Amino acid sequence: MTAVSGNLVKPIILGSVAGIVAGLFGVGGGVIVVPGLVLWLGLTQRKASGTSAATIVASSAAAMVAFGIGGSVDWKAAILIVAGSVVGAWGGAWFAKHINERILAITFAVVLLVAGVRMVL
Amino acid sequence: MLEIAGLVALGLFAGAIAAALGIGGGVIFVPALVVLFGFDQHIAQGTSLAVIFPTAIVATVAHTRMRNVEWHLSIPIGLAGIVGAVAGAQLALRLDPDLLRRMFGAFLIILAARMAWRAWKIDDRPPHEPGSPEAAAP
Repeated sequence: MTAVSGNLVKPIILGSVAGIVAGLFGVGGGVIVVPGLVLWLGLTQRKASGTSAATIVASSAAAMVAFGIGGSVDWKAAILIVAGSVVGAWGGAWFAKHINERILAITFAVVLLVAGVRMVL
Repeated sequence: MLEIAGLVALGLFAGAIAAALGIGGGVIFVPALVVLFGFDQHIAQGTSLAVIFPTAIVATVAHTRMRNVEWHLSIPIGLAGIVGAVAGAQLALRLDPDLLRRMFGAFLIILAARMAWRAWKIDDRPPHEPGSPEAAAP
């Protein structure tokens, strides 16, 4: 019993923190869950991605309902973005094979930085 | 009409970047909706979640087939995540949109630093396998 509850402490802490970040910022929470699973619970990157995806189904549903009740979801926009991202994700796998990951990561870091600074100001 | 095309293009672009870098789309959707489409911070976040939810279902199905889901961890993390997400969302909805936008900006700057650190550590190893559905993980 102690072992079982002991085993649940890390997942519960990880889930709570990731959930708060997901709800507060409207993101999936993978940004917390994936490194948490790799660095804290010892999963491989691949298993961490899969395990994280399943947790995001739950946390994004809960946060989506909370925002939806508050009238803060543009459903039409969401459908349009989903339509695009289905095709995009498919193309992204191809894209990943043909581009230098470092260049892509640096470019993306710069974009995030510019967007971040713009939103802070 | 232009906005419809723009939103589809945002999905296309974010989906491709997310798949190629193995990150979630939320960190792209929210700033893009706010900065490029002029959405209110709250609506940008709610809309982002409405995109992430179906995407995460698809990703989970793909990962389950590849036996990448450790359900004994996903279930407690997901259940705690529901509680955290509701609390986080309630907090977000009570915050002034301008303050929330600034907080989000600070969050992005931290993520930019982390992404730069990751880029720094990449030592020109071969790109990860195609079709890796870590891609779709939001």
